[in-house]
Amino acid sequence: MRQRARPGAKARVLSALAALTLVAALAAGGIARGERAQRGDLIVSLDGQLAPLKLPRGRPAPVSVSLEGGLQTAGGGELPRVTEVQLGLPSRGVLSTRGLPSCSRHRLQHTTTAEAREACGGALVGSGQMQADVLLPNQEPFRIHADLLAFNGTVDGKRAVLMHAFAAKPPTVVVLPFVFHRGAGRFGTALVADLPPSLGPWPHFAHFQMTLGRRYEYRGRSRSYLSASCPIPPRITAGFFSLAKVTFTLEDGGEISTGIARSCRAS
Amino acid sequence: MHARFAAALVVALLTVTAVAVAAEGPTRDEYVSQLEQICKPDAEATQRAMKGARADVSGERLAAAAKKFGTATAIFGGTVKKIAAVPRPEGDEAKLGKWFGYLNAQESYLKQITAQLRAGHAIKAQRLTARFIHNGNLANNVVLAFGFNYCSFKFSRYG
Repeated sequence: MRQRARPGAKARVLSALAALTLVAALAAGGIARGERAQRGDLIVSLDGQLAPLKLPRGRPAPVSVSLEGGLQTAGGGELPRVTEVQLGLPSRGVLSTRGLPSCSRHRLQHTTTAEAREACGGALVGSGQMQADVLLPNQEPFRIHADLLAFNGTVDGKRAVLMHAFAAKPPTVVVLPFVFHRGAGRFGTALVADLPPSLGPWPHFAHFQMTLGRRYEYRGRSRSYLSASCPIPPRITAGFFSLAKVTFTLEDGGEISTGIARSCRAS
Repeated sequence: MHARFAAALVVALLTVTAVAVAAEGPTRDEYVSQLEQICKPDAEATQRAMKGARADVSGERLAAAAKKFGTATAIFGGTVKKIAAVPRPEGDEAKLGKWFGYLNAQESYLKQITAQLRAGHAIKAQRLTARFIHNGNLANNVVLAFGFNYCSFKFSRYG
């Protein structure tokens, strides 16, 4: 996702959520429901889609991105501790936060999901669920199910997504900042979150599902947090692009990652 | 006489042992390592050959894209031929048989995409590409436990 730097730049924003390869209509049952990779006993998975699928060829239109993924072990054993999560997104999409309220980490601390919405509802850019395994000494591991809210925010002056996770049983709240980083290559925009040991049981991350996207009004104009186009030639009806890549850095320093390719259709 | 018989017995036993070892084949780790050594240069060559293919298709330079897909097809076919000749680990034959089935289908899709691009049939090529990607993901799932890198299908290698 390209971060919008100047007002009025919309007309000049390069369309395209991603570089396109050969095109393709996604046949019914089309691309596999999630791509997976394995390293040793550990399996990483990622699935996702862009909505709407049909987009203009020549100008960016509002979109939302749904992603689902996680870690599991082939043998059903304990999940390793994750120290960093990196979510790569196409560099040619458009990310706009102009006129979108921003929330601070402080305002989200110690809040339930409802309280977080109340405190920072204006900055809401996504929602979802996550699961993490809790490993305590002398006790069977158990899984926490949490609701996720994503808020527009900044961390050390950098644009970020503040991920608020709340679990009712046992009552747990975590606010995790995913900071935007610019890079090179197919996934030129990365959302990076460090998971410090102070997070306790949460780093034994198992699964997440998240939809990012937000339409809002600013100075009488309709705007979108995420925008994309499907820039393919007129004679072609659909195109493939790399939608996302997730990389988990583990406690032992190793990494495991997988990426997904999806299609768009030209409207 | 006894000495000759003993020597023959030793030779026979050694032969049986050797045959047994050969029949066991490599371990899965050895197999993966062997295949990755074959796939690595070919995967890198594919990436080089396919560079700019997306831009070619977007720019409607289908003949240029066809040439790149043709090169990738030849590399892929060569790789499959080489890795198919490697002895397979005992117990993994069925799984690998299925994988090679998918790989053969991948090669066929690449050939068909190349042909359609050469003929200027962009829509047919786009439909085949959808199947190619889907089939590649299915192939990966069959051998997930092997932890292949260069021998696995990666969309990003194709331009």
